[in-house]
Amino acid sequence: MEIFTFKNLFRKVMLNYLIGICATACFFLISEPLMAQQQPITVSGKVTSSTGEVLPGVSIVVKGSQTTASSDGDGNYKIAVPNSNSVLVFSFVGFKAAEIQVGNRTVVNAKLTEQTQSLDDVVVVAYGNTTQRSSTGALQTVNGKELQDIPAAQVTQKLQGKLAGVQINQASGKPGLGLQVRIRGGASISTGNAPLYVVDGFPIAGDISNINPDEIENITVLKDAASTSLYGSRAAFGVVVVTTKTAKSGQTNISANVYTGTQQVPKKGRPDMMNGTEWAQFKKEYYEDLGQPVPAALQNPSQYGEGVDWYDAMLRSAPITNYSVSINTNKENFSNAVVAGYFKQDGVLLNSNYERFSVRVNSVFKLNEKLKLGLNLAPTHTVNNSPSTDGMFFGGGGLINNALLTPPILNYQNPDGSYPVSVTTPGITSFPTPNWVRSIQDITNKSKDNRILSNGYLEYEPIPKLVLKSSINVDFAQSLFHSFQPSTASRGFASAPSALSANLFDSNYQYLSWLSENTIGYSKQIKDHNFDILGGFTKQKYRSDYSTISGSNFPDDRIETISAALIKNNSTSDIQEWSLVSFLAKFNYSYKGKYLLAASIRRDGSSRFGVDKKWGNFPSVSAGWVVSEESFLQNFKPISFLKIRGSYGITGNNNLGNYQQYASVASAVNSPFGSTTASGIAVNSLGNTQLSWETTKQLDLGVDLAILNNRINFTYDYYTKKTSNLLFSLSVPRESGFSSFTGNVGEIKFWGHEFALTTNNLVGNFKWNTNFNIAFSDNKVLALSSLSNDLYVSDGTARTITRVGERIGQFWGLIQDGVYKDQADFNNSPKSVNSQVGTIKFRDLNGDGVIKYGDAEGDRTVIGNPFPKFVFGFTNSFAYKNFDLSIVASGSYGNDIARMMDEGTTNLDGVFNVLKEVKDRWRSPQNPGAGKYGKTTASTGDDRAQFHTRFVQDGSYLTIKNIALGYSLPVEKVKWLKSVRVFTSVQQAFVFTNYDGINPEIGTDLNGNAPSSLKQGLDYSAYPVPRTFTFGLNVNLK
Amino acid sequence: MKKNIILSFILVMSLAGCKKSFLEIPSKTSLSTAVFFKSESDFQQAINGAYAPLRALYSGNNGAWAMGEQRSDNTTYKYNPNDRGSIQSEYIKDFTDDANSPVSANKYFTDYSIIARANQILDPIDGVDFNVTSKNNIKGQAYFLRAFAYFDLVQYFGQVPIHLKPVTTLNETSAPLSTVETIYNQIISDAKQAATLLPNKAAQEAGRATSGAAKTLLGNVYIVLKRWAEAETILKEVTGYSLLSDYNNVFSPSQKNNSESIFEVQFKEGNEGLASNFFYTFLVQPISAAEITAVTGIPEVPRTIQGFNLPTPDIIAAYEPNDKRKDASIGYLTAGGVTYPYIKKYAHAHANTNNTNDNWPVYRYAEVLLFLAEAANEQNRPGDALTYLNMVRANPRTGLAPSIAAGQAAVRDAILAERRVELAFENKRWLDLVRTGNADQVMKAFGTRFKANPQSYYFPAGITPSPSSYTNIRLLFPLPASEAALSPYF
Repeated sequence: MEIFTFKNLFRKVMLNYLIGICATACFFLISEPLMAQQQPITVSGKVTSSTGEVLPGVSIVVKGSQTTASSDGDGNYKIAVPNSNSVLVFSFVGFKAAEIQVGNRTVVNAKLTEQTQSLDDVVVVAYGNTTQRSSTGALQTVNGKELQDIPAAQVTQKLQGKLAGVQINQASGKPGLGLQVRIRGGASISTGNAPLYVVDGFPIAGDISNINPDEIENITVLKDAASTSLYGSRAAFGVVVVTTKTAKSGQTNISANVYTGTQQVPKKGRPDMMNGTEWAQFKKEYYEDLGQPVPAALQNPSQYGEGVDWYDAMLRSAPITNYSVSINTNKENFSNAVVAGYFKQDGVLLNSNYERFSVRVNSVFKLNEKLKLGLNLAPTHTVNNSPSTDGMFFGGGGLINNALLTPPILNYQNPDGSYPVSVTTPGITSFPTPNWVRSIQDITNKSKDNRILSNGYLEYEPIPKLVLKSSINVDFAQSLFHSFQPSTASRGFASAPSALSANLFDSNYQYLSWLSENTIGYSKQIKDHNFDILGGFTKQKYRSDYSTISGSNFPDDRIETISAALIKNNSTSDIQEWSLVSFLAKFNYSYKGKYLLAASIRRDGSSRFGVDKKWGNFPSVSAGWVVSEESFLQNFKPISFLKIRGSYGITGNNNLGNYQQYASVASAVNSPFGSTTASGIAVNSLGNTQLSWETTKQLDLGVDLAILNNRINFTYDYYTKKTSNLLFSLSVPRESGFSSFTGNVGEIKFWGHEFALTTNNLVGNFKWNTNFNIAFSDNKVLALSSLSNDLYVSDGTARTITRVGERIGQFWGLIQDGVYKDQADFNNSPKSVNSQVGTIKFRDLNGDGVIKYGDAEGDRTVIGNPFPKFVFGFTNSFAYKNFDLSIVASGSYGNDIARMMDEGTTNLDGVFNVLKEVKDRWRSPQNPGAGKYGKTTASTGDDRAQFHTRFVQDGSYLTIKNIALGYSLPVEKVKWLKSVRVFTSVQQAFVFTNYDGINPEIGTDLNGNAPSSLKQGLDYSAYPVPRTFTFGLNVNLK
Repeated sequence: MKKNIILSFILVMSLAGCKKSFLEIPSKTSLSTAVFFKSESDFQQAINGAYAPLRALYSGNNGAWAMGEQRSDNTTYKYNPNDRGSIQSEYIKDFTDDANSPVSANKYFTDYSIIARANQILDPIDGVDFNVTSKNNIKGQAYFLRAFAYFDLVQYFGQVPIHLKPVTTLNETSAPLSTVETIYNQIISDAKQAATLLPNKAAQEAGRATSGAAKTLLGNVYIVLKRWAEAETILKEVTGYSLLSDYNNVFSPSQKNNSESIFEVQFKEGNEGLASNFFYTFLVQPISAAEITAVTGIPEVPRTIQGFNLPTPDIIAAYEPNDKRKDASIGYLTAGGVTYPYIKKYAHAHANTNNTNDNWPVYRYAEVLLFLAEAANEQNRPGDALTYLNMVRANPRTGLAPSIAAGQAAVRDAILAERRVELAFENKRWLDLVRTGNADQVMKAFGTRFKANPQSYYFPAGITPSPSSYTNIRLLFPLPASEAALSPYF
């Protein structure tokens, strides 16, 4: 029986990863029936395209066997088949596979039709499949193949620009970091807004950032309520359905996908900081304006020339490499797909990197005609070192920001080539200034993650079309984080590196999430009526364990363990659990494929809610009318397909922390009495037994149109959704002893229009396809809490307001009106308590004659909108003979960005390097500057510490995300090769924007993390997104 | 075999499905109120937790010193032109603060968290049966802490809302403003309860509130309300205390809760998060590691942000020559090569930087004596007053001769001057100026001196105080703006 090497390989993989997850399933490996042998027949023929072109290199497989052949340069093939019942499967990239029964013929010619946006391709949706033709919901699918040339660790990065109404932002270029995905402007006011990710039917607990993109067969984004409501309480922000590769029928092959490249940060977009001479001059003037003597080092600024570019010193050209091998095998009763991958990316900032080892094994065993067993197993191991690069200089990280702010007349390197620990220089630096170029290299921030994503299912079909399915899904992950700052490094200004401040932080995080699902489905066709029903019961439970240890004061940098710390902090641990029980049902009906009707409902019970509010119902209805099937359009040639559809439904959001419904009692609120410590407690939250779901009611109206024989495909969707009972941690008066109350408050409306257009502009020898999508969206707050109609959120200096009747998360600040030019201007203008002649002047909006900074009674107003009016994507693909070229662009229009890192880069205290334009500041009534920046002497705080219009810029952009050029080698003559394609690509090729920062897709909070919904559009400095050049190879073996 | 597999599969499924209360998962890392407050131990832990906010009330950049001491003419800040990032307590100093000040907000929020924790105890405790002595002690401490917090609030903010029950619903989170009179009545009532329920110092664990502390608090309330006779009566009941013979020892961590101490905020050096850091908060900055080590004798890191609560030339001049308390209270150090004064009361040996063992003295017996002097004098008995005054002033530990002030007005001045130096840097000065009606005149005069010569108040050359500073000497602080935005009542 050991005839097949794949089986050995498979066994090994299975033994390593599978035992212990579902040991029983392994038994099926043994039973593999032999195939019947009969008299062979030789069949030959020619393969052409629908337009009559000869197709070389087409793969021809006898269905259910190992026998394969391929067409030669003239499209001819020859193959032996067992008997006249044999079926030949013709498949070729870019064409629909065709299955032809041999019958009594010995010559079988095949005509393959080109794969365009096919209406009849299977699309995986919630608990089932559909096709674009018969779907009544708003959904969009992207094939894994379309994405393979884009050099990115993250599948979401590859999806940028591909999906209408899905905004995907790469806010930080950190290797290994997931992107921010937002479907239809999805937002809540305090909880996350990430969509639900469903991998092979399993709604996973986290995101898909550590999944090898090469494992992915396709991705479907479910946008409207009809498509998502079967995921009930977690579907409010849309659902991303990921289907991983399985071996296709009649296919046995090995393929490899390899690319390698290099990444660089483009010059354009880097902050325009002063050079050595400019800064020395600035600092010289600073002393002169104070009337203090100018230190010797600054008396002759021109001696410094260009000075030192600290930002540049943190950067490097970094390699990126990916290897993936997939092995597909399909026999009569057993199909198996294995994808093994290795990805390594060094970051463009020193000492940052990401490495991923991944394996996926997807297997299906057909036990008999009625019983099928499936097993998917995907272990991954990732190693990631991420120096504290992002965020503000005072936000606990921010090494990039620190580098920008360091006086450019200081050098990070000694003349002998060594790196000093610190560049503190009296008279030049105002704070102890660590050498950031050394810090970034000496600090370790390493996480090692292991994750096993697995599904096992049993499918039983006792009578045709009645399918019972049981599945167990397990997501297990562990993350070890180790952070060590030695005595030679520091993360912030004013903290000199020393053994005393050397510190360690270790954490251990692991979670296990399991889901058990049992469904029963039945479909039936009675004449022209098609019915399809499904019912199910699911249970899911999640538990995470998190513990930390930390310490400081390390006498020896070589020992990075807690045992060596002279000061050991208390260790901590935390357990989080949640559970979910659900019932679900759906019903689809169609009449002649012309009138489509669907309804579904899910009932969810969650541990996260109050005793009285645990259960919620999430129904949806939808209908479609395929107008093109009507007789009056049947003979109207230009229209090949026209469908009008509509849906309405309710989805939920339970995305808040656990235990929020309980009034919790915090322990270890200790107090010392004399020399003894007494253990204490404190009630630290207000409970809420009424805490419940956030619900979103969504209406979607859409049209799908295909004209000119499907050469032009157009989809339009209008949606409007109302999110009510918003989960929110409401600020309450502190007189209560509490700061917040977690409840369901308020209502927000979101609406938008989405257009997607796919056209085959040119067919024939030179092919040109275009895919354009654009989505307009907007929102309005209809109600907030009973306490207030305004909701203020601050992050460092930045503030946003969410006000009833207006949009969510608007920038909330003062309007700058120049500076107080002279005494007369000062006397005649409204002032704040800190105002002086020469300081920044704000507009007195409430007309009370003074400038006040309060939210309710001050002079703040809406000064920017972080949400785009529209986002768009544009992909052009060209093919000529063996060449193919694709260009992917994406962009956004109408959003503002608050460049909060200006708080450092325009600091007037003379302590940091500053933007070049700070040169034109107020120095005296005779020398008032450009009116943008005030004086450097006294009361400089308002200039930067009050959020105002100077921070806000237009954030619109157009980015050429990827240009990829491929060439398929003519390998028809090589027996064992199916295809070989080489390609080269440029990722993040060009960025067109008026935004003056590094990255217009920015969105980082003070600490360099992904911001919450109401803190969007802030640039607190982040890892730059590099431009990547790659060269790659795809090989398919027969 | 296949059947077996299917059966075991189904078995696994059903096992997973049959656990009861699958949707009821309480936290494994913290309890909830539903299961708490059931036993003596629960209440004991709760009262321990109620003391915890006192540490935040007194320490840190927004600590009580900013409004109680630095607001007055006793201390000021070192203007650091290189870091204007932590200037909020400067605004308090310069009378340019407003309702957005995080300093006054810290006081407001922290006092209310003490009140909430006391209410969490006082509300259910009578419904739970346990040892009466222990219960009275816990209740007494809770009443004391609640009175203490409301007294702090009413003195600094005036009208504030009153909460006497734990808040459990959204609607209960705000209450109308109460009149100052109502608030004082509540404070007096709570303090009287505490004075009755609490054991005296000898019977109480060191560091906890005692009947003596409750009576001192009540006496302080009467002094502020100018109810002199009642003040005198209750303060005379504060017994069992005596002045230490060495003024240095009063503040020494090795003499915590000594015989002079009536109530101290307790801190503890170490890695439990209970340590104080007053020395570092009050440390003039920028300063190098070596310059700090010269004072502390331990390894230090340089500090470059700000310097707060530096003794002004005014307070330095306020000590009479030969007053031994001056050297015990004020020291000198070098920062950036320049000599500056620093508060010595909270500078003691400790093992690790920014981690000190100093308690904060809230009430000590010397103040009770000075209160008694004041109460007697205001009842027109300057002779009795002088006796009390000289118990403090002419104590051998000061090295001073007895005061010979004569007449009510002169004795009044002598008492205030004595309070200023005896209780210097203990957050008494600003409230003394307010309650005696001297604040406006004293602080405007201070402002004039300050603006005339900023450099002697630690300003660098070329930098002047804000033109609007010291123009409006406000006696109360505005209620926090963030609170006003949420409460329908103000």
